Amino acid sequence: MTDLIKLRGVDKYYGDYHALRDINLTIRAGEFFSLLGPSGCGKTTLLRVIAGFEGVSGGTVMISDKDMADVPPNQRPTNMVFQSYAIFPHLSVGENVAFGLRKSGLNKADKASAVEEALSMVGLAGYGKRAAHALSGGQRQRVALARALILKPKVLLLDEPLSALDKKMREHMQVELIRLQRAVGITFILVTHDQEEALVMSDRIAVMFAGEIGQLDDPETLYRRPNSRRVAEFIGKMNFLPGRVTATGDTITLDIAGFGVTDVPAVQAPEGATLGEAAIGIRPETLAILFDGEKASRHEAAAVVDEVVYYGDMTYYDVRVNNVPEPLTIAMKNMIGRPVLDVGAQTRIAWDERAIVVF
Amino acid sequence: MKLRVYAIAYLIFLYAPIILLPIFAFNDATIIAFPLSGFTTEWFAELTQNRALHAAVQNSLIIAVCTAVFATILGLCAARAGAMSDFPGKKGITGFIMLPLVLPEIIVAVALLVILRQVLGLSLGNWTIIMAHVLICTPFSIAILNGAFGALDPSMEEAALDLGESRWSAFRLVTLPLVMPGIISSMLISFTISLDEFIIAFFLTGSNPTMPVYIWGLLRFPKSLPVIMALGTILVALSVILLTIAEIFRRRGVRRAGGTDTGGFL
Repeated sequence: MTDLIKLRGVDKYYGDYHALRDINLTIRAGEFFSLLGPSGCGKTTLLRVIAGFEGVSGGTVMISDKDMADVPPNQRPTNMVFQSYAIFPHLSVGENVAFGLRKSGLNKADKASAVEEALSMVGLAGYGKRAAHALSGGQRQRVALARALILKPKVLLLDEPLSALDKKMREHMQVELIRLQRAVGITFILVTHDQEEALVMSDRIAVMFAGEIGQLDDPETLYRRPNSRRVAEFIGKMNFLPGRVTATGDTITLDIAGFGVTDVPAVQAPEGATLGEAAIGIRPETLAILFDGEKASRHEAAAVVDEVVYYGDMTYYDVRVNNVPEPLTIAMKNMIGRPVLDVGAQTRIAWDERAIVVF
Repeated sequence: MKLRVYAIAYLIFLYAPIILLPIFAFNDATIIAFPLSGFTTEWFAELTQNRALHAAVQNSLIIAVCTAVFATILGLCAARAGAMSDFPGKKGITGFIMLPLVLPEIIVAVALLVILRQVLGLSLGNWTIIMAHVLICTPFSIAILNGAFGALDPSMEEAALDLGESRWSAFRLVTLPLVMPGIISSMLISFTISLDEFIIAFFLTGSNPTMPVYIWGLLRFPKSLPVIMALGTILVALSVILLTIAEIFRRRGVRRAGGTDTGGFL
C-alpha cells in the first residue's frame, strides 16, 4: 500500500492550550484508520486539521505528497461525515447528496444517476425526493455518507459517526461501514472514543492521549501488546500486579506477586524491560477459574471469590489471590454444566505466562 | 379562582386604553367621552383626505423600511460573527453592541442632535432619523438573529465548505436559507419599532415630520382627536399583524434549524 497522508511534526495550539503535540503519522491508501482516545485527547482536532478546518501551529500535512498548508477545505481531496451529520434540512435527500456536484459540470441527467447510484450504495435507493428533516438517525447518517462519497474523495473523514445511534443500529452500521469501505476502496479515517468500535472496524488504530499518539498498531497487537498502562487501561480491561524483573535479555525473568517466578520472551515487554520493579498486566479473559477436576495447562494459584457479576453469556469474577494487593478480574464464558460460583467460594485459577504484558 | 380575577383585572388594566381606540374611532362625536353617540366611519374617511398626514406616513414608511434593512444587515453580520467565529474581545464587543437596548432614547436623541447639528453642522432629514433608528433597532435584530444562529448547527456551513463551495456560497446556499425566517422576523420587528418611534424622530426630524411626530402635532387641536383615534386603530392593528408574522417566522426558523424554542417576544 502506498502512503496517502503524511503528518510531520504537527502542532496545534489554542491560545496556551497545546491540543496536538508533535504528531507524526502516515496513513496508507485504502486503509481503514481509526483515531481512538478519550474526549479532549485531540482526535477530532487532528481530523479537522486533515480536513483543513483547522490550521496547524507547526509541522506539515501532506496528502498525496502535496503540502496542504495553503489548500482550503473545499479544495482538499477529503470529505467529511460530521458527528451531527449536518444534513441540510431545507433540501431534499437528493439535493443534499447532489450538493457537492454543483461545480462538477455534469448535466442534469448525469447528476441524477450519480445521486441514485450513491443512494443505492448506502441502501437508500428511491429516497431522493424525501424531505431531509423527516429522516431517522440511521438514514441521516447514510445520506451524509452518500453526500460525501459521491465526490469520490481520496479520504473519507468520519467524526464519531455512530455515536448518535442506538446500540443495535450502531453495531449494524459498523458492519455496513466496513463493507462500504471495502467496496469503494477509499481511505477511511474514523474518530471514535469507543474502543470496541475501533477494534471491530479498523486496519490500524492510533490511540491518542492529551494531544499525543500513545500507540499506533493493528487492533490485535494493540490489544495483546499495549505499550503502556494507559493504553492497556483504555482498551479493554486489564489486571495489574506488582512484580520484579530479575533478568533481561531474549527472555525476561519475572517474579510476580502471588504468582511466583516465570520466564517470558522479550516481546512481551513492548517498551523493553529494566531490572527492578515492574507492573505486570494480564487480561481478564486470559485467566480462568478452574472448576472441579480441571487442571491448568500452565500454572495455577489458589483464590477466593470476592465479587460475581453475571452478564448472561459471561460471568465476571473478582478473586483474591494471596500476596496480590488488588482483586483480579476474571472473565469466564458461561458454558453448559459450569456453575456460577458464590462470593466467598474457595477456588483455583489458571494463568498463562504467554498472556502477560510487562510495563 | 382568586388568581383568575386578578389576572383578568390586570389584563383589563393593560389593554383597556387600547380597546378604547377603536371604540372612539367609530364613535360619531368629536368629544372623547361616554356615552357613545352612534357609529360612523367619518374619521377614517377624513384620514384619506389629509395630505400632510399622507406625507408623514410616507416619510415614516421610507424610514422604517430603510431602518429594517440596515439594522437587519448589521444584525446579521454581528450574529454570524458571534455564533460562528472567535476573536479577541468577542464578549465585550457583543455587550457593547447590545447597549442601545438599555440606553434611554431621550439621551440618544439629544446626543445625536448635538453631534449632528453642533459638532458636524449637518442638516436634519430622514437619513438622520434612519441612522438613529438603526442604532436602536440593531440590538433587537441581533437578539432575534442570535436565536436563529444559535439554533443552527455550526457543521452546516463547514459541510457545504467541505463539499466544495466557497465560504460565501456556503453561507448563501446553506446558512442564509436556514436563518431566513430570523431575517424576516428581524426586519418586521425593526420596521415596527421604527414606525412608531417618537422621541428620536421628534428631536431629529427636519422639515418633514414622521407620522408619530405629526400625530403629536395634531393633539393641539381637540377637533382632530377622533381622527387620531382612527389612525391609532389602524396602527395597532398593523403592529399586531406584523409582530405576529415576525413571531411565526422566528418559530419556523428555530424549528427548521432543528433546535428547540427557548423564548421569543410573544
